[in-house]
Amino acid sequence: MNIKEYISSGVVESYVLGLLTAQERFEFEQYCEAYPELKEARTAFELALEKQAMENSLAPPADLKQKIASKIFDENKAAPVIPIQSAPSRKFNWTRFVAAASIVLLAGSIWWNMKLRNENGKLKDDNLAIQNDLKISQDSIAQIISMANHIQKKGMKMVPLNGTANSPKSFATVYWDTTSHDVYLLVNNLPTPASDEQYQLWALLKTNDQMQTIDLGMLQLSQKPLQVYKMTNAQSAQAFAITLEKKDGNTEPNLQKIYVMSNL
Amino acid sequence: MLLNEQSNDAFNYLYDNYSGAIYTIINQIVPDKDTASDVMQEVFVNIWRKINTYDAGKGRLFTWMLNIARNASIDKVRSKGYRDNQKNQPMTENESSGMAMSTNPMVNDVGLKKVLTTLNEEHRKLIDLSYFQGFTHEEIAKMMGIPLGTVKTRIRTAITQLRKMIG
Repeated sequence: MNIKEYISSGVVESYVLGLLTAQERFEFEQYCEAYPELKEARTAFELALEKQAMENSLAPPADLKQKIASKIFDENKAAPVIPIQSAPSRKFNWTRFVAAASIVLLAGSIWWNMKLRNENGKLKDDNLAIQNDLKISQDSIAQIISMANHIQKKGMKMVPLNGTANSPKSFATVYWDTTSHDVYLLVNNLPTPASDEQYQLWALLKTNDQMQTIDLGMLQLSQKPLQVYKMTNAQSAQAFAITLEKKDGNTEPNLQKIYVMSNL
Repeated sequence: MLLNEQSNDAFNYLYDNYSGAIYTIINQIVPDKDTASDVMQEVFVNIWRKINTYDAGKGRLFTWMLNIARNASIDKVRSKGYRDNQKNQPMTENESSGMAMSTNPMVNDVGLKKVLTTLNEEHRKLIDLSYFQGFTHEEIAKMMGIPLGTVKTRIRTAITQLRKMIG
């Protein structure tokens, strides 16, 4: 295409003045992207036209600005409505009715869409929460099964630890694997310790009237009820006891603060 | 509200800069002053509402506004209500020519119409029919009894003449 011929054909002015058909307009816009000189010619004519229009203009009626401003800004405060026009005819205007009805329908459909979207979002959240809960439950069940497998193993000795005078309602259970000497602890019930205190499990061994105590580890602060925790191995023990110690425990048990203890 | 203040500033800017030119084009298509004022209101409200659809890649803001004003004015002149109303007006001497251009002498001394006066009669008529009255090339061909291709060529020629006058 000869772009110079195209530019001087009057197409630029026709485009700016809105005199092209939709097809011609589309072509012109395509060519504008490809030929910078075409775009330049367009801008040059636009500027000339604008200058001409600005320099030779009538003053609109003085009250018009205020009227338009209140139309724009007062309407913005109210609900959006169809453009206000001076009614040319008192006859029922189907076009306008259909336009108004379609705006109402559009507004309704937007509202409905947003409602569905909100509901959909909520269902997704709920679904995620349920999946999360399910995972927690499955994990708990897996732990309980694994615990059950452990404590039902052959050679597993179950030792109940009963509450002492310090805490008669307390109760815990030690499962002691007599083969591997692994020690598992199940806390059935113990009072929540203060934040600077922690429970400690001990093995008790009586030799020649001497009571020997062996540290089997601390109970975790976050210990959940009815779950089995693996403690330190105990090669030999005649009894088990849990005492309340300072945080992180002691090397020797505070015998004044025995909470639960098995029979010797 | 801050947003409203900004909107007010934007509106003041648009109106103060462009209202004269926009009102002129409206008035040149819709000679009746009251109706022209109605169209002007409609046009500015529409410009305000549609401002986010303005595409700077396709032309200047003024061009966009001018086309909105031109289209709204032509629609108004063609509306049944407007035509019914005009029938009740006293005949003006120019009505026989089928052109609204000379109803108000003032509007011919400003804007694009001022440039039109420098063109020859045929070019002036073609631009008046196509630009100010919004007739399609096909309609003009029928009206003037000349082939469509000829109408297209002559309008292009008229427009290039107009272009020379605008500078």
